[in-house]
Amino acid sequence: MGDDVKSKLGKTAQRFSRRSVLKTTAAGAAAVAAGPALFNIARAADHNIRIGFPVPLTGPYGSEAQEQARCAQIAVDQFNAAGGLNGRMAELLVRDDKLKPGEAATRTLELIEKDKVHYVCGSLSASVQLSVNAVTKARGIIYVSISQSDAINEAKDFSKYTFHEAMNPHMTAGAVGRYAFPQFGKRVAFLIADYAYGHEMVRGFKRAGEAHGIEVVAEVTHPLASKDFSTFLPQIMAARPDVLCLCNFGYDQMNSLKQATGFGMKQQMQILAPALLYNQRRAGGAAAYEGVIGGANYHWTLESSVPSAKAFNDAYRAENDGAPPSDYGAYGYAGVGALLDGVKKAGTTDTDAVITALEALKYDKYKGTQYYRKCDHQSVQSVFIVKSKSESEMANEYDVFDIVHTDPASEDILRSCAELGHEA
Amino acid sequence: MSLANPQERLTVSGRRLAGLVSLMARHRVAAVLGFLLIFPFLLPYEALAVNILIYGLYALGFNMVFGYMGVLSFGHAAFFGLGSYATGIAIVHYGVPWLPAIGIGIVAAGLGAAVIGGLAIRTRGIYFAMVTLALSQCVYYLVYQMEDLSGGENGLRGVDVYDLNIPGLELTLIDPLTKYYFVFAFVALAVWLFSRLLASPFGAVLEALRENESRARACGTDVAMSKWLAFVISGLFCGLAGALNAIHLTIVPIESLHYHTSGLAVMMALLGGMGTFFGPFVGALTFLMLEDVITLVTVHWQLFVGALFVFFILFFPRGIWGTLLHWLSR
Repeated sequence: MGDDVKSKLGKTAQRFSRRSVLKTTAAGAAAVAAGPALFNIARAADHNIRIGFPVPLTGPYGSEAQEQARCAQIAVDQFNAAGGLNGRMAELLVRDDKLKPGEAATRTLELIEKDKVHYVCGSLSASVQLSVNAVTKARGIIYVSISQSDAINEAKDFSKYTFHEAMNPHMTAGAVGRYAFPQFGKRVAFLIADYAYGHEMVRGFKRAGEAHGIEVVAEVTHPLASKDFSTFLPQIMAARPDVLCLCNFGYDQMNSLKQATGFGMKQQMQILAPALLYNQRRAGGAAAYEGVIGGANYHWTLESSVPSAKAFNDAYRAENDGAPPSDYGAYGYAGVGALLDGVKKAGTTDTDAVITALEALKYDKYKGTQYYRKCDHQSVQSVFIVKSKSESEMANEYDVFDIVHTDPASEDILRSCAELGHEA
Repeated sequence: MSLANPQERLTVSGRRLAGLVSLMARHRVAAVLGFLLIFPFLLPYEALAVNILIYGLYALGFNMVFGYMGVLSFGHAAFFGLGSYATGIAIVHYGVPWLPAIGIGIVAAGLGAAVIGGLAIRTRGIYFAMVTLALSQCVYYLVYQMEDLSGGENGLRGVDVYDLNIPGLELTLIDPLTKYYFVFAFVALAVWLFSRLLASPFGAVLEALRENESRARACGTDVAMSKWLAFVISGLFCGLAGALNAIHLTIVPIESLHYHTSGLAVMMALLGGMGTFFGPFVGALTFLMLEDVITLVTVHWQLFVGALFVFFILFFPRGIWGTLLHWLSR
């Protein structure tokens, strides 16, 4: 009797669970089946010119990445508004690479294999751009990188499909060094974030310093993403340098600057930061950055002298409540803009024709004339030396830098083709 | 998934669904492989399918220690990464053909596991997790500093295996489907081997260690040795997954050695069902699919994946596959 009840109960439970299992399975199967279909609908007509845009939307550089995507979209909109390529519209496919090289490689594979993109542009770290480049070059897809790296210029990683729109650490550090060493003194100290980008900047500074006979009095490395610099800074103060070069980036730069300001180091020495970022300066505040000299690819106040800067700013302001674009955002605009200029000039989306067009292209998207050097496809462009303003000098909340000097666009500030391992 | 209890076998038999389960249980390798064979056609794109295969294999290897032996290791990224780097370095710097290079990757991971296992195996519980975590971070920094060989922060590039050079067959890994079946062939072999290991007396020892270590020792099992051996074998499987990942991505990112990667194995095994044969693959599938779909919609994907993970831990502690099996064979 007892067993009977139990077995009945068991049966109901069994039936119930079987049904629910079937339901779950069916729902699961439907979801899996709908998945690809959903994406296929989302994918626009095959007719379009598709540009994949992997950037780290999540992670520490999320705000920069979103800015880059916004600016790239402006370039696409302008191309389409001007009639596209004989009526063929461009389309931007933004993907999150999460600032991880492995994820970026997978996302790029997805863009190429599933979305069938014609070109790829994007990335915001040296390691990520190298991984995207590895994937694109093997598949013969043009890739325009928009973040800093020295390695991508070198023959080992380069391919004819690789273009580098951003500046590289060698040219930024070099330009800042050439400007600062004659003015502020020859005793130089380095605070270095211990990774490729940090060491590349040091190399750039030392190269620029050779001509001015600098003397390196301290070289202090700190681990990436340090919070506390109080153990590193006294070593530098003890060496009594005239100039301190901060070879780090992002939050490392901000934190080290805040603490250096607190230690009163600015009274003793001039602080240089090769990659002085607009967004980082705004996040860090005027006091920490006041008086720091650095390199930048762009500052929006350039609009007073450069017409293309004015046009770019206006286009951006119209969509962003009057706020001007940032320097890294401008890379997104220029990278995609130059690419689409090349497509238009080639008159076709054919890869080889576009490469030829890009190699011959002189473009002025936002900062004056630029072009891609033939041997390594590095964008030859002017470097701006900026000085961070104090609170009282700022005309408005966006007015953070003073452009004190411009290194004109020239191949002389790049490493030579031979040095990079390119033939001729 | 054990049907060893005769009572259970009795209640199970005669019901079609349960019959299917027991059929699958008896031919688990065939069931897994049959599914994986048609798998790429169910997914939005092949690269994701390859990722799921590789991470599924990685979680499978991890599951030997975690699910079957009941020991939580937090250092399996070291074996995944060592497999990746050894294979990558062999191909990039020494021009080794791909097949021996994969072998080198597996051996390197096995050696790493032998050393880390040798140092850690006598500790237990949280201490074991911490020791493996610490040692795997040592491997991370070691590889990070060997910039000439490993590429350091920039990662190792140039693992360009495209033409397989198999006589009589013209295969190129540029074709995504070819790449899937290339990886599949290795995964199939590994899954079969894994199943054989579990079915062997050694597999029984593992479960005995999980259920009651003192009793296993009393029965004459060399506990330390068995644990160490399981750890090394687990490392070999993870090494193979790493080696395949290097060839799949054509790069080796430094993140493959990061403790996040260790955590990934734990998450996948838990999500799919620890101690189940197919669970790690289900976990990898669920995790990577969710991540892939949700990132297209929102940048706050971690919030959703995290919430879902908590939900599963709270309400389905057996994991997705474990719960499904439990329902079907009830």
